[in-house]
Amino acid sequence: MILGDLLGTPVLDADGGRLGRVADVRFVLDGAPHQLMAEPRLLGLVVGPHSAASFMGYERNGLTRPYMIARILRWRHRGSFLVLWEDVAMVGARSVRLRPGFTRYSTALEDGAEA
Amino acid sequence: MTSAPLPRVPHAAGRILDAQLHLMDRQVLDHDGVPVTTVDDLEVSGPALDVEIARGTPPPVITALLTGSVLGTRIFGGRPPSSRLIRIPWKDVAEVGVVVRLGVKGEPLDASWVERWVRDKIIARIPGGRHDPR
Repeated sequence: MILGDLLGTPVLDADGGRLGRVADVRFVLDGAPHQLMAEPRLLGLVVGPHSAASFMGYERNGLTRPYMIARILRWRHRGSFLVLWEDVAMVGARSVRLRPGFTRYSTALEDGAEA
Repeated sequence: MTSAPLPRVPHAAGRILDAQLHLMDRQVLDHDGVPVTTVDDLEVSGPALDVEIARGTPPPVITALLTGSVLGTRIFGGRPPSSRLIRIPWKDVAEVGVVVRLGVKGEPLDASWVERWVRDKIIARIPGGRHDPR
């Protein structure tokens, strides 16, 4: 499938309750090794409850400058969380459904501060 | 938010790449540093749409970087049909940083056909267009 189709798709919990939209898709470079780089394996989906897309990733890294922009963008992306691939029950054309009892993880990147 | 901070993701061995943040819209250079195109979209190996994902299904992987004429659809919405997008297989990608660097020459790739066509059909017919300026 084409990843752009997944971005912005509404995310629902197992009962059909709306959680937000797919703001980004996280990959980890630990798939099958190729000659140059390993294959990126899908780790999970970044879900944003208030916005359809993430802009500049301030909620995922530790950057605080320029101060006003960082404050505004962090506020806009407040409540974002990451769900792992294991917790995704179905990817549809119009929505993504999660498994019952899924875990919300922090969206912070490894080198970034807590979001 | 007043709720407790969320737990961190279990540590993964490889480098983390967020599609929008680290890959989409990045410039693509070939192994000589010549610009080839930009990453307009990504192709992943799954999952099938509207099909229940069984527990333990291996996660999808990125198979190709996609590029093509997306200006119109960026403005008016939607995306070009999959058959109109040009694929650069992930196995040709050598490095992801500020730019995406390929480990192959850009010249034979489908992604640069417009540039080749303009060079061969238009520039070459201009007097003096077939050799380096002296």
